Amino acid sequence: MLNHLSDIWLVLSTEVRRVFSDKMVLLIFFIAPLLYPLIFCYMYSNKNVENMPVAVVDESRCEESKHFVHKLDATHEITVAYRPSTLAEARQLLRDHNVRGIIYLPRDFASRLADRRTARVVVFADMSSFYYYKAILTGGNAVLIDEMHSIELQRFEASGLTRTEADIQVQPIEMQTVTAFNPTGGYGSFFLPALLLLVIHQTLFLGICILCGDANENSLTLKMIPPRLRQGRSVFRVIFGRSLCYILIYLPLCLLDLWLMPRIFHLPQLGNLRTLLGFLLPFLLAVIFFGLTVGNFFVRQKISPMLCFVFFSLVLFFLTGMVWPQSNMPPVWFALSHIFPSTPGVQGFVKITSMGATLAEVRSEYLLLWIQAGIYFVAASMSLSFIKKFRRS
Amino acid sequence: MRRVFNRELRRLVNKPRYLILLTLGIVLTFVVFATMTKEGQPLKLPVAVVDMDHSYLSRRLCHELNATQGVSVKAVYDSHTEARKAMQRGDVFAYYEIEKGTYNRLLQFQSPKLVLYVNSAYMLAGTLSYKQMATMGMLAAGAVQREVYRKKGFRDEDIMGMIQPVEFDTRNIGNPWINYGNYLMTTLIPAVIAFVAMMHTSYAIVRERQERSVKTWLKKARGNTLIALLGKILPYTIHYSLLLLVANLIMFGPMHYPMVGSWPLMMLNSILVVFAAQCTSCFIAGCIPEAPLTMGVSALYSAMSFSLSGFSFPVESMPTFFSSFSWLYPIRHYFLNYSDIAIYGNGIEHCWPHYCALIAFGLLLLAGAVMLRWQLRREARFEGKEALC
Repeated sequence: MLNHLSDIWLVLSTEVRRVFSDKMVLLIFFIAPLLYPLIFCYMYSNKNVENMPVAVVDESRCEESKHFVHKLDATHEITVAYRPSTLAEARQLLRDHNVRGIIYLPRDFASRLADRRTARVVVFADMSSFYYYKAILTGGNAVLIDEMHSIELQRFEASGLTRTEADIQVQPIEMQTVTAFNPTGGYGSFFLPALLLLVIHQTLFLGICILCGDANENSLTLKMIPPRLRQGRSVFRVIFGRSLCYILIYLPLCLLDLWLMPRIFHLPQLGNLRTLLGFLLPFLLAVIFFGLTVGNFFVRQKISPMLCFVFFSLVLFFLTGMVWPQSNMPPVWFALSHIFPSTPGVQGFVKITSMGATLAEVRSEYLLLWIQAGIYFVAASMSLSFIKKFRRS
Repeated sequence: MRRVFNRELRRLVNKPRYLILLTLGIVLTFVVFATMTKEGQPLKLPVAVVDMDHSYLSRRLCHELNATQGVSVKAVYDSHTEARKAMQRGDVFAYYEIEKGTYNRLLQFQSPKLVLYVNSAYMLAGTLSYKQMATMGMLAAGAVQREVYRKKGFRDEDIMGMIQPVEFDTRNIGNPWINYGNYLMTTLIPAVIAFVAMMHTSYAIVRERQERSVKTWLKKARGNTLIALLGKILPYTIHYSLLLLVANLIMFGPMHYPMVGSWPLMMLNSILVVFAAQCTSCFIAGCIPEAPLTMGVSALYSAMSFSLSGFSFPVESMPTFFSSFSWLYPIRHYFLNYSDIAIYGNGIEHCWPHYCALIAFGLLLLAGAVMLRWQLRREARFEGKEALC
């Protein structure tokens, strides 16, 4: 037993020395997980689009339309920046990017209201970003509903109903919306928890692949290990030793990025620390073993992970199902997404931190991470004998 | 320059592993996004109903929700806790809670409450299911109002004006069907290609250092580092520009993403974004002599390009610093040119500043050449000293 521990200690200390003597690995292991969360959290600190400039073309120029425009201007989503007299002028403003949308009240707005017919308000939205569209519709809809209710209320009161009766007529069913999680509906609080975990996943995975690539490039993978640890079950000690090194480095980083950072930048923080730590253990193990497997089997050069894997982060992010829901993914991509620890990792972490889930609610993700950790552990152990054969051939 | 260009082509052909891998990577990214967003918007999103009323109203709401394209009632729960747990598991994105006695209170004009719970932690699914369910809830209320008016003897065409005195008529410029793929792919695919072009160029320069062939490379350029860099990056410019042109042809052609402006301008935009990204990598490679660090810094810099292009969350809504910082990213200029050309059909008189900005990235190539020259001289001096020792 003592021998085993000393073997693990030997591998661990060798790996620590390698990590701290390689500038590229230091950049990936320490600078990236410290810098990116800070930059991205600051980047998305304004959680929503506010005071987006729009142009209002009021051809009706009646009391009701003026009231409508005032209310629009009062919403925090949009600001009436221009009031051109024609639609053509407004379109020009949109083409010049001076405004991000147009609200057009046609000439018959007042007459339709007077005739008790549905009056039309035309909204032109700049679709270059969904957030322009979302801002103009959120702000506009709030005013629209409010305006509809006040018009209906006036009409009912004019027809002789009391205020309470009129209220019931206007709203026979009281609609109440509760935004259960991410109550501000902000982009940052949706995007950042997923991104923080992906940063941990990618930096750890890339760092390990770089270390494997470096060892393979210089034929060091086997030389670093004493001969007695190169075969049989003793290989497990090598994998354990190396994994322990990465866990010791990444545990504090995880606590910083996934526990402290959400608190500093006021991101969702419903999860408790014990659940998070319990979830992080299989996650880190799965990523480490996955990295060792890919690194030992496929990476022959130190710089190839930077070249080939970094841009793939984008695909990994979409495969997590945070943007395009998993229920709507084509089966091939849904199946493929389960190869990567990032998918259950991001899903589970978001559920814990943004939705206050316990390990029982993230059971499927938690189990999948353990399964991945198991499979990749076996694969990583096999990769050493693969390298031995590869070298011999 | 032709000699450097030919030499780089030969090197590429002799060791085509990365070129093939990266091209396949780009194709895979394109296929993943295209097939995933094929339906335009996620349809039949799983939602639930907590039915404590078991009435005509709750059953009708379930049927009506199921009849829409946007959502599908996956489960009907008896308690709030069950539904909340399903939401925490990510099984449903939204649910209506219908309290006991809702229908009776409605018939007695006591204005019962209908509560809609939405999970906004999944932005797209949450927003879309909210939109669909809120509309159906409003329609349910509208149906009740309509019944009341009918009983009072109003005609159907008058009732609509009374229930909905004002309506929005929305025109979405540049993406009329609110197709998520259109919004996503038109910027993300160019961003991925520019990213890969940048990293591959960095690698091409770094490889000379690794293989200790810098002297042979510069000899072909007769010692001129600018010519050496230009000749080196050109094969990659051609390859990745062609890839981007093909991607744009597919997106604006068979995939029918709207493109109202000039094609030549869009082609120029595609070529320039690749060139500008490569110039940035030349500058980084010129400044940092160590091969792995060059790659690391290039990756650190360009990983932010997806966010700073401003296509998802608008740059002007970020803290002021990022508005200026985003100009250092070619993809930001590409995105602004794309929205000008493809969405608004604007001509060069509108987009010239961003074309100039993309061309100005050429200055980084110049700076990179100067830095490379300085570095090589320093290394030569250092080697000379070592030889003397």
